[in-house]
Amino acid sequence: MKYFLKRAAFMALTLFAACALTFFLMNVIPGGTAELIIKHTFVGLEESVTEEQINQISSRYNLDDPLYLQFLRWVKEAVLRGDIGTSYVFKKPVLYLLALRLPATIQLAGASMVLSVLVGVSLGIYSALRENRISDHVLRIATLFGVSMPGFWVALILILIFSLKLKLVPVSGYGSLENLLLPAAALSLHSVAAVMRVTRTSMLETLGQEYIRFAKAKGLPVWKIISRHALKNAMLPVITVIGFQMGSLLGGAVVIEKIFAWPGIGSLLVDSISARDLPMVQGCVLAIVMMFLLVHFFVDMLYTHLDPRIRYG
Amino acid sequence: MKNKNSPLLILLIILLTCAFLVTSGCSSTEESKAQEEVSGMELVYGSEATSQADGDSESNTLILGEMWEIDSINTIDGDGGTLICEKAAVTETLVGANEDFSLKPRLASSWEQLDENTWEFRLRENVTFHDGSPMTANEVKFTLEKVIEVNPKVDSMLKIDSMEVVDNHTLKIKTTEINPILPGILHYPDTAVISPSSFDEAGEFVKPIGTGPYKFESFDEQTRVLTVVKNENWWGGEVGLDKMILKGIPDPNTRAMAIENGEVDFTVDVPYSETDRIDAIEGINVEKYKTPRVYKIDVNLKHEPLEDVRVRQAMSYAIDRAEIVEHVLYNVGEAATGPFLPTMVWANQSLSPYTRDLEKADELLTAAGWVDTDGDGIRDKDGEPLKLNMMTYSARPGLPPMAEAMAAQLKEAGIDVETEVMEMGSISDRKEKGNWDLYLAAYNIAMVPDPEYILTNWYMTGGPDNGPGYSNPEVDALIMEARKITDLEERYKKFNEVEAIVYDEQPMIIVAYYGCAIVKKDYVKGYVFDPTAHDYRINADMYLEK
Repeated sequence: MKYFLKRAAFMALTLFAACALTFFLMNVIPGGTAELIIKHTFVGLEESVTEEQINQISSRYNLDDPLYLQFLRWVKEAVLRGDIGTSYVFKKPVLYLLALRLPATIQLAGASMVLSVLVGVSLGIYSALRENRISDHVLRIATLFGVSMPGFWVALILILIFSLKLKLVPVSGYGSLENLLLPAAALSLHSVAAVMRVTRTSMLETLGQEYIRFAKAKGLPVWKIISRHALKNAMLPVITVIGFQMGSLLGGAVVIEKIFAWPGIGSLLVDSISARDLPMVQGCVLAIVMMFLLVHFFVDMLYTHLDPRIRYG
Repeated sequence: MKNKNSPLLILLIILLTCAFLVTSGCSSTEESKAQEEVSGMELVYGSEATSQADGDSESNTLILGEMWEIDSINTIDGDGGTLICEKAAVTETLVGANEDFSLKPRLASSWEQLDENTWEFRLRENVTFHDGSPMTANEVKFTLEKVIEVNPKVDSMLKIDSMEVVDNHTLKIKTTEINPILPGILHYPDTAVISPSSFDEAGEFVKPIGTGPYKFESFDEQTRVLTVVKNENWWGGEVGLDKMILKGIPDPNTRAMAIENGEVDFTVDVPYSETDRIDAIEGINVEKYKTPRVYKIDVNLKHEPLEDVRVRQAMSYAIDRAEIVEHVLYNVGEAATGPFLPTMVWANQSLSPYTRDLEKADELLTAAGWVDTDGDGIRDKDGEPLKLNMMTYSARPGLPPMAEAMAAQLKEAGIDVETEVMEMGSISDRKEKGNWDLYLAAYNIAMVPDPEYILTNWYMTGGPDNGPGYSNPEVDALIMEARKITDLEERYKKFNEVEAIVYDEQPMIIVAYYGCAIVKKDYVKGYVFDPTAHDYRINADMYLEK
């Protein structure tokens, strides 16, 4: 219990630090906030903005106040009233916009995680069992491909094959399982490869251990050795990698969301940054950091299950 | 005990968690649905919208792959005005424009300038909103007041002092200063007339209720799919389609594949390099048009080499516009002369584009003192090489490759240009600090269908879009004179003179007219390209012939 409290406090501190960092960094990058909000909302990207318009927007959103005051106001509203602001560009509450967009991102990242774990772990085990045979070599080359191919390119190739040639799934859209397949596959390719590589290495190491040899000598069937004895010990590094992959999944989602017109927070975050829509950026960062922390918390909990020697407290 | 710690169980936990994450997503969807229903919006949800689209593809429903994400349906605050007016055809403006950009009546049947600052607009009679109420001067006044309140851009263009409803179909507008382009501004989509019932009791915008050929049916805020249906009582006559479903597909490659796959019937701006291939596919045709936008290079006149008119002219001669249009823009565009399309009624027809002439460029640069003394291919003067930087951005796909191509062409004339693709914030920062030489951008030239707006903004001393810092008393005087002339022909003559001067002085190097590729299925009939629209306009005569 004490550990949970400690952990929760640490999470809150991380969230606060992330928000503060985002807030101040957004203010040091070049380009005036008011000017960019106007360009993205009212006058058009290429056109100039008049001093009068800048003043009007600055006073509407209190952008003239000292930075620390603006930040304190944001924190006060967020902590006391649970209100993380209103988007300058969409003119709607950030929470409402996040509620609209977050489910799509969670679905996409979640589905990609499932794919990474299912495909990555099973192929990794298979590859380890077939060490140095042709299928192992083929799979290892495939992982190299998976790690090095850019996501947007894979996405386009997948559309080309599965939508245009085979007519199995639609090119873009949101809402049904068939819409989810291609983006999830494109997004997870990198993680599948990463998980597979780690699983293979870790599995080989475990398979070389004394107790596995003993199990073999006992005449246990291979699937039993793997599932009962080897997998549990081999999973520790794999789980660490899965946790870290969550970060790359959220990052990669930005490009994939654009390509598949997927209504998640990745593209929202990028657009908000270029429009200097501060409250929206803060909201997106908050949501992403929160997801990341939760996944890591979950990973840590799994450690103790997998290896009882690991204890937190 | 053994079972509890089984690795398979652990794996199962991971999978279950992922599944939970996925389903938690679904439940939030429902929550947001509930939230939206409270706010009074009619919504269609993702899969429903898709299946609807599929189901209707046989009937007279057009599925449109829009080029920007559909973020907003608010017509007055600068976000959704263009989409709702030009692409969804739900709202209409008081004033329309012909192909040559001359103004024509739309919801206003006529207008008249009573004195320097007063205008009177007569409204078309028998026009009703989609909610059945008649459109009168009161609603026009209401719309303009709302726009002025929330949209600083339109406010600063209209310069309205007061409005008076003379009778049901007459509105008098007083401006704070002389504003001869007022009717032109009322062609701008954000000023489209909407019924006060577009707002709820708290004054929040709910949905657009206009007078156009199509009426708003639903907007799914999550999937951002907009659906509009035929307005049976449109004052303009018969409407061709029963329904239109607009989906935002921001990636040009995806738009191309979506039309190839039959998911959309109509889309625009697939990658320029793909237009010919797609056109060759049976059942799809690609049409290329010019839109009121130009690619131009702002030249920082405060920087020593560029202050010399001969250097600017030499650069203009060194750029091969025809080659850029053919090989970089794949003919989606056209070599440009001045700031206006030759088809615009006010354009100076006597000018023609600078064509590539390296000899002339050499003469001009040599006369300006720039010669290659050390034989490295780059000209120099007083030991300083002729080195410039060119900033641009990537939001418009033609810009970065154009910058590269032009840098290569300028290098052949002995000018070393380093290109930099930057984010908008960094560009405005650099411009503010004066730390730049050339800036390649694409500008809209008919935001308002009148030459005054662009010429004042670009070339007048201190004009808001006069990035180069150009100042020529003759140009200023001509623009000021033209402003006071009400006879259009006389007015345009003055503006033609301005165009001729800036053509010689090249404070901005106009490279090409922006193009738009319309990609549609063969069964989409009756489409007429409107050159005055921002990207494209859906016309009421469109229909499907399957």
